[in-house]
Amino acid sequence: MDNLAPMDDFEHDLLAAMQRQAAPPGLKRAVLKTVVDRRSQDRRRMLWLERLAASVVLAGVAGGAVLWRNIDEQRRGEQAKQQVFTALRITNRALEQMRVQLEERDSR
Amino acid sequence: MASPWQPDFEQLGDFERLVDEHQSMVFSLALRMTGDRGLAEEIAQDVFLELDSNLRKIESPLHACHWLRRVTMSRSADALRRRRGRSMDMWVEIDEQHGAIEEERASPLGTRVEAMLATLPEAQRAALILRYQENLTPGEIAATLSAPLATVKSHLQRGLKLLRAKAATQLKEYVRGA
Repeated sequence: MDNLAPMDDFEHDLLAAMQRQAAPPGLKRAVLKTVVDRRSQDRRRMLWLERLAASVVLAGVAGGAVLWRNIDEQRRGEQAKQQVFTALRITNRALEQMRVQLEERDSR
Repeated sequence: MASPWQPDFEQLGDFERLVDEHQSMVFSLALRMTGDRGLAEEIAQDVFLELDSNLRKIESPLHACHWLRRVTMSRSADALRRRRGRSMDMWVEIDEQHGAIEEERASPLGTRVEAMLATLPEAQRAALILRYQENLTPGEIAATLSAPLATVKSHLQRGLKLLRAKAATQLKEYVRGA
């Protein structure tokens, strides 16, 4: 705690002489105008950033959908390929069996 | 002729109330520190713009008052430092500015005391302004200026002594009788 000695006359005169002065009339208006301008700019900037973020998300979703379709098509292509190979193996086995049968007949 | 742009002051609420409540304090601190009305007005504007940027950190009306005092004193010191850096004769400028103030003030005595205050070293001036304009205790002054309490007390003591000496030689009201 500050233990202050009582003020003397000179100090009381100082207190009276150093009362706060009124601020210039235009100060408040100038401050408020600048604050309103600044906040409007900030809002516009935030809106732009939000739109940019939304665009990035949309682009990501669209790109992801295209990629998924490509992957899916590739998977189906693999499946079809496997089916063809299976069919070829079956055909090959059948042909081999026919060849064996023909050779047996020719040898009699 | 009406301005085409009308600011939407409705949205400003608390901030506008703070400006209303504290603009004379902020302006007076800056004015007595720098002795320059134009510079004091610039400083006051900057201080309130900084307040708007830091509103979320303000915890209470009392905190706002302390914050404004602290930042105003700091900005005023910065302005004085910049002015010294430009090698201007600060004391002559202050005296000229106080000449302008004198026309507006009702009490010549008050104006002359203020002019004497303006001739003090910056640190002593700052301490005295916070003591006699804001009625702060030395502890509160130390907190505002981020200075040690002993240093503040020394500035107050020396500054007051200097002021008394100047008043005794310059103002007939304070000349002591034989």
